[in-house]
Amino acid sequence: MTDLSAIAEKIAALRADDDVYENGARVISQGGVPDGMAAFIDAIDGTVLERHLEIMTGSHIVTVVAAGRRLRGIVNVIPPKGKSARLVGEPLSRDDRRMLESVGTLLSDLFSPAPKLTIRNLPAEPFGKSGDRGVAASELARLWDVDLDAEPLPKVDRFLRSNSGLFTAHLHVNNGEVVATSGDAGTLQQIWEDQIDAFLTTQKKLSGHTDGPQLISLEGALDGKQSIALGLAGDDVLLMIYDSSGLGQMHASWQAIFS
Amino acid sequence: MVVDELNTLRDSVSGCQMVAFADLSAHMILVTDSKTSHPREVLDDLCDEAATLLGRRGVPALGETPSNTAVWATQASLRVFLRAPGEPNDVLCCVCAPNVNVGRLVAKASACLDRISNG
Repeated sequence: MTDLSAIAEKIAALRADDDVYENGARVISQGGVPDGMAAFIDAIDGTVLERHLEIMTGSHIVTVVAAGRRLRGIVNVIPPKGKSARLVGEPLSRDDRRMLESVGTLLSDLFSPAPKLTIRNLPAEPFGKSGDRGVAASELARLWDVDLDAEPLPKVDRFLRSNSGLFTAHLHVNNGEVVATSGDAGTLQQIWEDQIDAFLTTQKKLSGHTDGPQLISLEGALDGKQSIALGLAGDDVLLMIYDSSGLGQMHASWQAIFS
Repeated sequence: MVVDELNTLRDSVSGCQMVAFADLSAHMILVTDSKTSHPREVLDDLCDEAATLLGRRGVPALGETPSNTAVWATQASLRVFLRAPGEPNDVLCCVCAPNVNVGRLVAKASACLDRISNG
């Protein structure tokens, strides 16, 4: 693709009126569609004039500086996460692969699990030296192994992937057959075999029951104060042991993906 | 007053539509926030949901131990049921819009239940 045709595509995209805004910020990823990193790189690719891009994940605000369809660096991460303190303010260069890898890991940790990503374009402020051009969006996609044209995963898989950091074990059943497990899934297997039928029969009689996807979380329902969640979506049943500190994130993710 | 605590909780969390305080031993909603005017049957159903998800007579709904906090998300609503740590039959029930901030709701509801149960 030539630069001219790429720019023409960008202008056409900018003119499209199907963008969704929330509180003045544009929604660039909802429920993992598109993938958070792909949405971020696409935003960099759409930034021609120098701008600060403020990306909100729900738990963090990440500000980067971009220009000429290139990422120049990270301006701020609030609250800090992982190695962000070391990476903030450092100009990016295609020659510093270790730095680029660290930035990619940090941004993936921030953007991939986010139920929703929104972005604001803000005027740029001085950053680095004028000779620091940054790294092209297309090169970031290659370096960080992000497929910008990937088809969205099935919803259940997106939910499991987005929240993999919260789950110490999971059991995925489709049409009555166990199709995937992770971690120590023995307890979940036992629940699936001994308890689930009776529970679902009772639960379907409750007045709050509706057809459609449902997520039920029970804090401290396993010995050792571990918590379990049950996801129901069509022919899929998910059982998960989750980290209680992520209760809100897990439900926000479910809501973003299945609503 | 308990109803003031329920009103404060309902008004402090965006998307929270109803708050009720139940006694599971009597299987009864004892009081609701003052904006709620559902018929008795609806409140009985809500109490039934709390008992089912939190477990009945020490038997867990799922798992090994009755939970003290259950969250049930459907496309129509999000319901939170909280059991008071010191009074296992004291339960707070919250009915909310599906997109309510669960972390914020649970934190505020837990504090509310502590105040009611210890008051």
